[in-house]
Amino acid sequence: MEVKYTLQGLLIYLAMAAYVAAFVRRLVGREKSGQLLYTFGFAVCCAAFAYRWYSVRHVPMQNLFEVFLSMGLLIYPVSSFCERVLRVGGRCADMLIGTIVLFPAGFVFSAEPQRLPPALQSWLFAPHVAVYVLSYIFMAKATFQASCQLAGKPPCPDGKVLPAEEATYRMIRAGFPLLTLGLVLGSVWGKLAWGDYWGWDPKELWSLASWLVYVGYFHFRYMFGKRHPRINSTWAVAGMAAIVITLLWVNLSRLFSGLHSYAA
Amino acid sequence: MNKFRRAVLWCALVLIILLIVLSIYGAFAGAERAKGFFNSLPLGLYWSALTVMLIAGIGVFRRLVREPALLLIHGGCVLILTGSMWGSAAGHELRKKLLGIEKIPGGKMAIFEGQSDNHVKAEGERGMKELPFHIKLKDFRIEYYKPEYLDIESRQGQHWQVPVEIGGEFSLGADVGTVIITKAFENFKITFEDDKSAAYDDPEPGYNPALEVQIRGPDGGVTTDYVFERYPGHVHPEDKFLLSYHRTVRDYISELAVIKDDKVVLEKNIEVNHPLHFGGYHFYQHSYDEQGRQYTVLEVVSDSGLIWVYAGYLMLCIAVFWHLWLREFAAGRARVRSE
Ligand code: HEM
Repeated sequence: MEVKYTLQGLLIYLAMAAYVAAFVRRLVGREKSGQLLYTFGFAVCCAAFAYRWYSVRHVPMQNLFEVFLSMGLLIYPVSSFCERVLRVGGRCADMLIGTIVLFPAGFVFSAEPQRLPPALQSWLFAPHVAVYVLSYIFMAKATFQASCQLAGKPPCPDGKVLPAEEATYRMIRAGFPLLTLGLVLGSVWGKLAWGDYWGWDPKELWSLASWLVYVGYFHFRYMFGKRHPRINSTWAVAGMAAIVITLLWVNLSRLFSGLHSYAA
Repeated sequence: MNKFRRAVLWCALVLIILLIVLSIYGAFAGAERAKGFFNSLPLGLYWSALTVMLIAGIGVFRRLVREPALLLIHGGCVLILTGSMWGSAAGHELRKKLLGIEKIPGGKMAIFEGQSDNHVKAEGERGMKELPFHIKLKDFRIEYYKPEYLDIESRQGQHWQVPVEIGGEFSLGADVGTVIITKAFENFKITFEDDKSAAYDDPEPGYNPALEVQIRGPDGGVTTDYVFERYPGHVHPEDKFLLSYHRTVRDYISELAVIKDDKVVLEKNIEVNHPLHFGGYHFYQHSYDEQGRQYTVLEVVSDSGLIWVYAGYLMLCIAVFWHLWLREFAAGRARVRSE
């Protein structure tokens, strides 16, 4: 646990507090003030991201601290987009997801700026991480919808948004192209940096496994439609579990030997 | 859905689940063992089965042909799989046996500065193979981030990071003193003349970066120390401070020229992320002579099948966005507009 007594840390804690407060207000039915707090949290996240960018002088997506910070930033526009365009609810849960993803940035990972090692000085690096971060948010939303479906509780009793099973499918449809692009950009970058477009290191294999879980989901759902909604949802939850392992476990556990260790 | 189509889809699903399980196994096995495992004969059979299944799917499900995006997704996967099998070591071996085409799948070559070479130590093989052209190393160098830093730690646990600026004075606080870095060496050596020692920068091949550091105490007393990048933790019992010299590598650069028929046909400085491509091979900066910085080690990789893999990537990426996003978001926009 690392408390950050810096402006960077202060901004993150403020954003977290705003997201939590927004969540609580929404929970007690105070829609308007909840939304206002959520927007305020987003604005603070923007400031934290911009400040980080200014201090490290490269797109801040180099290490896990920056990845989690950008997730906290992106949750807001994604959640508005999903609700308005894709009819997928769960804004209340997004506020909580925002707090959860900011927690590692605020308390777990070091914000010490690092100089980029030669392999990371590639134009492919930032888009590779950015599309992954965005896809993870969609998949996290899919997991929330799938969990609601498994628990038998509608995420939102509002008629304007889709039921949980369909919302899960729509979220995975939104996240999968980004996940594919992230995988491909990583592979092309690996080819330029290390000579191999596929190095078989643990992080690559976990990301392949998570991508394949969603491929499996699509085909299972095509075969059986909505006849087995619980199994459909289980695929979605399994996909997120594989993503969490890709993102965290490989970096934290140091159980495996591989190329991606610098990303920790 | 008829029985045959259902059977094809079941097979596809089983193959996908199997690959998930194998990937997780590979992740536990570690990169080196996973590489061997996924390139082994049984896995070769698996890759072939997956390719056949994808082609069968395209043949059996009319929608996979009629819907261009679905065709591109599945066709893209076929290209990626065939391209990577074509470019694998086994693919190279097979082509040598069946078509008589000999190409080195991959290996390493070490080249000394000023010299040219065409010998490659092929991966997993004894002896050297020859490229049909030579690579000359004009120069190898390492670039570092600026400023470099001198780390100072007192015995009481205080810590300072001093930017390396020759002649610049850095205060450690009124009760500790000041630091001046008086000289920086790339290849530190010592001579003894008339029983006196003197440090100098040796222009001969060798590599021993060091700093000459003067620490002036609050009482005015001056001590001179040498700090070596390659030998950290060099302290005497009477030393008040632990000094260490750190540099962060920004890039490794090999200046190369390709020589064919005694003529220079291409020149390029290769760095990490910027390889050289010539004659069906990619050349990557791999490592270097850590002692004397006199030679570079290049990784040589055959480009066979790469174009197919990249074409597959492109098809797959365009098609997943097309199939899963465009129609969805267009419908979503229409919904928003109609409200
Ligand atoms: C192994 C053999 C495979 C077979 C036989 C197969 C077959 C199919 C079929 C029949 C569909 C449904 C098309 C429709 O909507 O009418 C489909 C959809 C799809 N497949 Fe495959 N597939 C295979 C492998 C793959 C792989 C490796 C991928 C990885 C990218 C993939 C990605 C997709 C996607 C993204 C869809 C669209 C899903 C949706 O619209 O919900 N497929 N596939």
